[in-house]
Amino acid sequence: MITAALSLDTLFAPSLDCDPTAMAHVDTEAQLIGRLEAGDTAALESLMARHAGRVYRVALGITRSPADAEEVVQDVFLTLVRKVATFEGRSALSTWLYRVATNSALARRRGKRAQVEVSLEEALPAFRDDGHRDGDRSYLLLDWSERPDEELLSGESRRAMARAIDLLPDHYRAVLILRDVEELTNEEAARALGEPVSSIKSRLHRARMALREELTRYWSQA
Amino acid sequence: MRGEAMTCRDAIAVLADFLEHTLSPELLASFEAHLADCAPCRAYLATYRKTVALTGRAEGIEMPPEMRARLRSLLLDALAREGGPA
Repeated sequence: MITAALSLDTLFAPSLDCDPTAMAHVDTEAQLIGRLEAGDTAALESLMARHAGRVYRVALGITRSPADAEEVVQDVFLTLVRKVATFEGRSALSTWLYRVATNSALARRRGKRAQVEVSLEEALPAFRDDGHRDGDRSYLLLDWSERPDEELLSGESRRAMARAIDLLPDHYRAVLILRDVEELTNEEAARALGEPVSSIKSRLHRARMALREELTRYWSQA
Repeated sequence: MRGEAMTCRDAIAVLADFLEHTLSPELLASFEAHLADCAPCRAYLATYRKTVALTGRAEGIEMPPEMRARLRSLLLDALAREGGPA
């Protein structure tokens, strides 16, 4: 059963003009939504298989707690089951899921924020009055990027990275996760967070710089 | 920017746009000219780019199978109770 509320004619409409291969995908996902509305358990399982993993990554990325992330995923999919008839299809289902997941995850973080969030100002590069970099030259020239990923993503290096992400302010971390983990575009992240693209771009750049700084500090002492 | 050499502050401000290939031709030329002469900014770009890649790998965590099973059970129960056409 497909109701007018789903507005399937407009569901994912922007992608239909430019990508013929998207048509089959769009039809399938739209059909799944319609079948879920009719109470079809197989449709629910298909939608879970497609989206639960990414919803979990976003939830865990923001909350930093597997238990909280599980509750967020449950919230998101229970909302989908209960509200599927009101899903109007003005945006892709994935965008809607990201939006509900980020809102739920950020709500759970309220009151749980780290006591000492990293001061982003301290993690930003310092400049002289003439606009060029300021600081110890050997530190400024330190380039750890050629080290193997296995080394960068193991042991204390990985823990340093995780700590740095933990300490980012929640709204910066949310942007980082949506952009650099889920690989959403700036526009998609802006829709998920309900914020202007300019805010997304600014926060993303500052979050990346803060992480880069923490990793550089780590490798300068390793 | 035309006629003025790009500073490190200018270069670092446009790193994200550079990685997304959204710099105008003029700004890209200024950025590349600055990088050619600035070893600290070359190191900054390399480590910034690597940070982006590492974040994706470090945080690309799969949902545990037991959690997925709990979710499935919860949702099927909810659908049985609440789902279906009114």
